[in-house]
Amino acid sequence: MSHRWGLVVDLDRCTGCEACVVACHAENNVPTAGADQAARGRTMQWIRVERTWEGDFPNPKVRFQPVLCQQCDNAPCEPVCPTYASYHTPEGLNAQVYNRCIGTRFCANACPYTVRSFNFFNPKWEMPLNLQLNPDVSVRSVGIMEKCTFCVQRIKSAEIQAEAEKRELKDGEFTTACAQSCASTALVFGDLNDPNSEVSRLASSNRSTKLLGELGTKPNVTYLERGTWQDAKNS
Amino acid sequence: MGWQKWLLLMVCAVACTWAMVKAVPTSHAGQTDLSAHVTSGVFTTAHPTAAQAVRDFLDFHPEHPVQPIAYTHAVHLANGLQCEFCHVGVDQGPEAQIPGVAVCMTCHIAIDTDKPEIKKIAAYQARGEDIPWVRVYNYSDSAHVRFNHAAHIRAGVGCSTCHGDMTKQTTAERKVDLNMGFCVNCHKQKQVSVDCETCHF
Amino acid sequence: MERRNFIKISALTGVAATLDACRAPDKQLIRFIPEDNLIPGIATWKPGVCTLCSAGCGLLVRVMQGDAEVVRNGQRGLMKMGLAKKLEGSPQNPVNAGKLCARGQAGLQVLYHPDRITHPIKRTGARGSGEFQEISWDDALKEVVSHLTALESSKAANSLAFLSMPLSGQRHKLIESFLKAYGAPPAVWYEPFDEAVLRQANLLSFGHAALPTFELGRADYIISFGADFLGTWNSPVAQSIGYGEMRRGRPGRRGKFVQVESRMSQTGANADEWIACKPGTEGILALGIAHVILSEKLAPQGAETRAGSQIAGWSAGLPEFTPEAVEKQTGVSAAVITRLAHEITQSGSSAAIVGGAPLAQTNGHFNALAVNALESLVDTGRDQNGNLRPILGFTPEPPLSAAEEPAAPAQASFARLNSFAQSALRGQAGAPQMLMLNEANPIFSAPPATRIGEAIARIPYIVSFGGFIDETSVQADLILPDHAPLESWLDSIPESGSLRSMVSLAPPAVSPLHNTRPMPDVLLGLAQQLGGDVAKALPWTSFEAMLKAALVPLRSHGGSVTAKTDDDFWQSMQTQGGWWSAPAAAGSKSAPATLSSATAAKHAPVALTAPEFAGAAGDFPFCFQPYVSQSFGDGSLAHLPWMQELPDVLTTAMWSSWVEINPKTGERLGIQQGDLVEITSQAGSLRVPAVLSPGIAPDLLAMPVGQGHENFGRFATGRGANPLSILAPVAERETGALAWAATRVKLTRVGGPEQAKLVLFAGGMSGFPHEEEPR
Repeated sequence: MSHRWGLVVDLDRCTGCEACVVACHAENNVPTAGADQAARGRTMQWIRVERTWEGDFPNPKVRFQPVLCQQCDNAPCEPVCPTYASYHTPEGLNAQVYNRCIGTRFCANACPYTVRSFNFFNPKWEMPLNLQLNPDVSVRSVGIMEKCTFCVQRIKSAEIQAEAEKRELKDGEFTTACAQSCASTALVFGDLNDPNSEVSRLASSNRSTKLLGELGTKPNVTYLERGTWQDAKNS
Repeated sequence: MGWQKWLLLMVCAVACTWAMVKAVPTSHAGQTDLSAHVTSGVFTTAHPTAAQAVRDFLDFHPEHPVQPIAYTHAVHLANGLQCEFCHVGVDQGPEAQIPGVAVCMTCHIAIDTDKPEIKKIAAYQARGEDIPWVRVYNYSDSAHVRFNHAAHIRAGVGCSTCHGDMTKQTTAERKVDLNMGFCVNCHKQKQVSVDCETCHF
Repeated sequence: MERRNFIKISALTGVAATLDACRAPDKQLIRFIPEDNLIPGIATWKPGVCTLCSAGCGLLVRVMQGDAEVVRNGQRGLMKMGLAKKLEGSPQNPVNAGKLCARGQAGLQVLYHPDRITHPIKRTGARGSGEFQEISWDDALKEVVSHLTALESSKAANSLAFLSMPLSGQRHKLIESFLKAYGAPPAVWYEPFDEAVLRQANLLSFGHAALPTFELGRADYIISFGADFLGTWNSPVAQSIGYGEMRRGRPGRRGKFVQVESRMSQTGANADEWIACKPGTEGILALGIAHVILSEKLAPQGAETRAGSQIAGWSAGLPEFTPEAVEKQTGVSAAVITRLAHEITQSGSSAAIVGGAPLAQTNGHFNALAVNALESLVDTGRDQNGNLRPILGFTPEPPLSAAEEPAAPAQASFARLNSFAQSALRGQAGAPQMLMLNEANPIFSAPPATRIGEAIARIPYIVSFGGFIDETSVQADLILPDHAPLESWLDSIPESGSLRSMVSLAPPAVSPLHNTRPMPDVLLGLAQQLGGDVAKALPWTSFEAMLKAALVPLRSHGGSVTAKTDDDFWQSMQTQGGWWSAPAAAGSKSAPATLSSATAAKHAPVALTAPEFAGAAGDFPFCFQPYVSQSFGDGSLAHLPWMQELPDVLTTAMWSSWVEINPKTGERLGIQQGDLVEITSQAGSLRVPAVLSPGIAPDLLAMPVGQGHENFGRFATGRGANPLSILAPVAERETGALAWAATRVKLTRVGGPEQAKLVLFAGGMSGFPHEEEPR
């Protein structure tokens, strides 16, 4: 069965704890920029939690929104890459091929979600922090664009394992680092081509919406709107 | 006199570049192998020297590095040893282990103990040291390749397809040119995915 | 340029490049024979216990083979060994069920931190200078034994002090047994944000001197008074799991959540309704709601509750707590109070939670009892069969022998630290002559009025076990660095998070990277060397043996581990990451009360108690609220780079300290976003960047705890400011706990953004407004 990977973000469950952010850093060898580069806006976060404030004291409202690469079916970052480093895989992922990337940064410019991080400098890990680096994932060097890959290393590893055991992948057999850590189960990952998967079920909820969907990017990430005070029925 | 000067300059430049890159590197190690960076306190993807950067860029690698022990694949294979006995994990996961001294000594505690190379191995073990094998096969980090041995073994790809005929080698030699075309051609022939993300992530 | 010069330069460059390649290859380190037997590229998952907060979540540690630079027998070399690559929650663990929080994920950086102390060191310079030199384990232990024997022989065993972060399980028992057998006073268990107030209140209200476990997944309505239960309070991961379930885990039911606090916390940001309440008056508000419930007879199960009887006037219907009276004191309107009372009681299963700043006031105990009383009135939780089963429960103690169970702490941390400091400062008989320090940093986190720094300086001999240099451990004369948690045998008895009695257990997930030794084993070794009573009290040669002896008797209690022999049980318990009892049967109550009703009766019901603050309101117009940080906890995690770079979810600040100021206050005082301000209390002052926040009252200032370290590694030292350093030594009236929210301060602008150097991820508080899509 061919797969189409998708993620659901339930905004009614997200608590803003940012466990997903740190889990992603750990899993994907995302570098730490340090205070100076952070002050220049050069931190690298494949997933970040946005917050929106509305209103004034004593009735302020905050809404949290995890934002990551939307793995758009109609990705604006793909046609602008001169070296075809950003392209769409048959399984619905927006792939970033590091060795093709020559650092033009057109893709980050084109992305409406600002989810692409550029390596402006060679990342450093004060030894022995580098011992934690995940050998299943590349360590990117200067001049390379990177972003969320839906933990493609986990996808590949699971697919190879399933093939070795001559069976289909089961829903929930593996998941992305962010979804695995999320305590309130706000993040759910899975195969959208599998009608019985959890992610398919949630994506068809009446609360579902796409981030900047009106731009026509066709994201594979579905957001479930936050509930309200009067909301007694749910999806 | 103009063109002679330019010709001389070109020849000098080429000679320098050739000298720079052909100077034998300590090992063809990717940056994720610590042994290339142990003297500094910071791990970085930057190449430690310009020379190493050029070597990496031009994919210069040693064809037949000198190993600390004059191991002979030919002899061991002729004696019936299977690849997986020493290279554990090749059919289980992405990597094949390069054997430690304990593996050698399982047999050589008794076999050929008077040979000088065997004595060397025994001496390593006695000192608590492992044999510092020099890596022969690797992808440069800038290739960003994640190769998985087990998938290929299960698919029936023989070790010699990529590693050459080991029955004719002493220490490992890169007899087969493992460029990307080599991989892609075989993938196309076997009708396996040639999607970039199959290997590059 | 001239041709000649051009040729010269090119030639020289070429020669230089060639020479560069010809230089001696990088000095090759020798390779040690691996101690682990791992296949490269294949991960093994090992059980673990997270120690980054007190919740005690279970871990799965992903271990893969890699090259590490280690020292063996004094020689530096490379070794292939198991390296911890990723931490995940353990799916079987009843507390965290496979999930893990941001801080827990950063446990990897504790293990591989560049500032870890890698071998024993002995002080060479002045105390606190940070000048140490390496000493062998043998010499170091000889030195410690000689000091301990000297104290014993001069009949001064009672002047050995042990100052440690709180520990549960066998490590707690080991330390207390050691001290008791040696003749020293019990350990001073210290943490800046302890929960003595809540435990004492729970003892009176519910009969359990313990942190509460709320099964939020079954709730339809939660009202939380100040508890950051989705972030840092109590057992955040377990509570977050329940919260997610409450919101969208039950088709057709979405639980409602109300947060009452004076400063919007990460938890409060998720509330359906956020209610701003004057600091310290949360208990009064809770009783205002209770008043309405009692007077209108809204409580479905009746008003005669034990927790209710702790409040004076309860049976009379709380006459002092009319909505109008409560409105005056809390700032919450009478209409809202009445509405809340109706909403809470109309919901199917409700719960009231209290934690955080409301308990850190002079009237913290009153606030806790008040909310507990409301909770007892409204908690009508039901199980799936419709039987009454409150949302609030208490974790039963594991069935270890009585001698094994550590007693609930009798005294608040702050009070204990004060007595300890006082006795050192007085210098009379019984004053500490020797201090053993274990991962406690009071010089950073205790209010300056305790004079703990001075007190510690008076102690003639200090040994520290912690793995890092910090403000307190730098004062040591000798450091015997402990293993990192992932390298250690760990056990823990979570106080809350699940209603099963349990013991978490993990063997080391990875081999030691440095020349460190586990603290429990060092103490056991010292015990053997001391001989006599101490050796008899601790007859084990290793901590592993002590753990096995203590925990194997759990085999006879059924539960999650079934085995035919003790050895099998021990193996299985390790593989599972611990032992836990079967889930409580439907309809059964949680563990019986541990307090006799006679003892409860001794406590008179409390009357309305208003908060008091240090500093006159005229001189110090603002209340000051330091808060436990999402990134740094109580400050002990500031040395981890992932945590420094984690943007605060409400302000986006990172690598910085900041103070949250209401925008109207900012306007009034001429303070703009990012300006440098000075905050002054009776106890001191500090300078910190300002962040304007709509989520804070105009007369309140709030600041995260964790930065402002003077000595805590390369990532944390000299960064930001420490709000704990300006706290007045105000104590909660009933328990003597530190009332860390009871200090008043004044505020002035002293500089602009270029002096403040605040680092924000997004550049400000205003994000894109939420876009409504037409449906």
